[in-house]
Amino acid sequence: FSGAYGPSSRLSLAGTHAPSRLPQEGQRTCILVDSREIASGSEVISFLRATHGFQVEVCPLNGCDYIVSNRMVVERRSQSEMLNSIHKNKFIDQIQYLQSMFERICVIVEKDREKTGDTSRMLKRTKSYDNLLTSLVAAGIRILFSSCQEETADLLKELSLVEQRKNVGIRVPTVVTNTGYEALKFYLSIPNVSCVTALNLCHRFPSVKKMTNSSPQEISMYAQVTPQKAEEIYRYMHYVFDMQMLPNGPNQSREKSDA
Amino acid sequence: MEKNPPDRTGPVHVPFGHIVANEKWRGSPLTQGMQGKIKVIFEAGLTPVDFYLSSRSCILYITEADLVAGNSYRKRLVVVRNSGNLKGIVVVEKTQMSEQYFPAMQKFTVLNLGMVLLPVASHMEASSLIVQLVQEQTKEPSKNPFLRKKPALISEPSLLRTVQQIPGIGKIKAPLLLQTFPSIQQLSNASIQELEPVVGQAVAQQIHAFFTQSR
Repeated sequence: FSGAYGPSSRLSLAGTHAPSRLPQEGQRTCILVDSREIASGSEVISFLRATHGFQVEVCPLNGCDYIVSNRMVVERRSQSEMLNSIHKNKFIDQIQYLQSMFERICVIVEKDREKTGDTSRMLKRTKSYDNLLTSLVAAGIRILFSSCQEETADLLKELSLVEQRKNVGIRVPTVVTNTGYEALKFYLSIPNVSCVTALNLCHRFPSVKKMTNSSPQEISMYAQVTPQKAEEIYRYMHYVFDMQMLPNGPNQSREKSDA
Repeated sequence: MEKNPPDRTGPVHVPFGHIVANEKWRGSPLTQGMQGKIKVIFEAGLTPVDFYLSSRSCILYITEADLVAGNSYRKRLVVVRNSGNLKGIVVVEKTQMSEQYFPAMQKFTVLNLGMVLLPVASHMEASSLIVQLVQEQTKEPSKNPFLRKKPALISEPSLLRTVQQIPGIGKIKAPLLLQTFPSIQQLSNASIQELEPVVGQAVAQQIHAFFTQSR
């Protein structure tokens, strides 16, 4: 973990004792962008930044392409990847991973950039593609179609504005202090907790101890998560550790599993 | 007991594995493409709906001509959207001709109305997509990879990882701490005096500071 999460003196939260920071009126809309998107979606990021009044934070999001609100993640996929059944299982794994953390998911299917002199190559619609689409629809996952990176940026903007109107916009700073950084890493290690939830936990609880002693209702309110997710976090905090349950014996626990 | 309440437009009864189509699609390439794969039942007076997948879910078909002609299709979408428990899926002909109107249409349908939108390039594509939608409805939800419940993970390895995020705690001290204070909540409430016998004075202070300091 580095980048925007990293220790920074720009914003000192020491001394902020209030359990929740009051959302400021008219605060800029914030979108979190995964650092991997710099390589594949640089134009998306530039267009988002160019859109007036948008705060775009590029940080490591562990495979979540865009986080547009406290509950919504957006997965950006090229159409050719969706059409080719070779990538199907990988795509399914990715969506299931996102489902474990987010209440709402949106997939933006983006048309591939046409290479010069390659206009003859028409992508044929496949059964596997239709099958993916209908499975996504049945599971309540939103799908949007984009013809280029500029349009993707516009759709992301619209999505985050809709979420903002529903009062679930990202309202915490994405920069944390040194001690905040330690707490953030701690919160990120809770299973199925997204980066934005970890940030909310970090900024809205005055201390880690306060968080670990909170009721599910308090966790739900401060972390901006559903009661179910709050219950899951609560149960994790109170889970009684049993050495016998370790799969590989006590001394072989994996350092860190990256999803 | 009366099964069917007196109603105005629906609910339309759709037998399992069938699709109920608006009379206007009789003989069209769209329904011809479906025949042989699913059973199509034609019914008159279904407007504004084009197809019923079930009594609660329907398809609104927006042709290339509808899209190019202007925003009149919007009224139909709104009627379905406002009709209580009917879930509308909008299938739109996105062709070279209608492409330029698609973005505005998508914003209205998906972002404003919150309905599902699926673009197709031709009648052929539309009929295979609709067949797929019918098949999706008839299969068991557990067959859908996005509806499958994932088995609960064992928490112990995660707990070790979480405890290792506390400054001063590595692979060795994490299990020692969890054996004495078996939950994160208990560990967070441990005093320096209680922590000292397990990890020593300096680390005990670090742990205590980590949990209690304000941020």
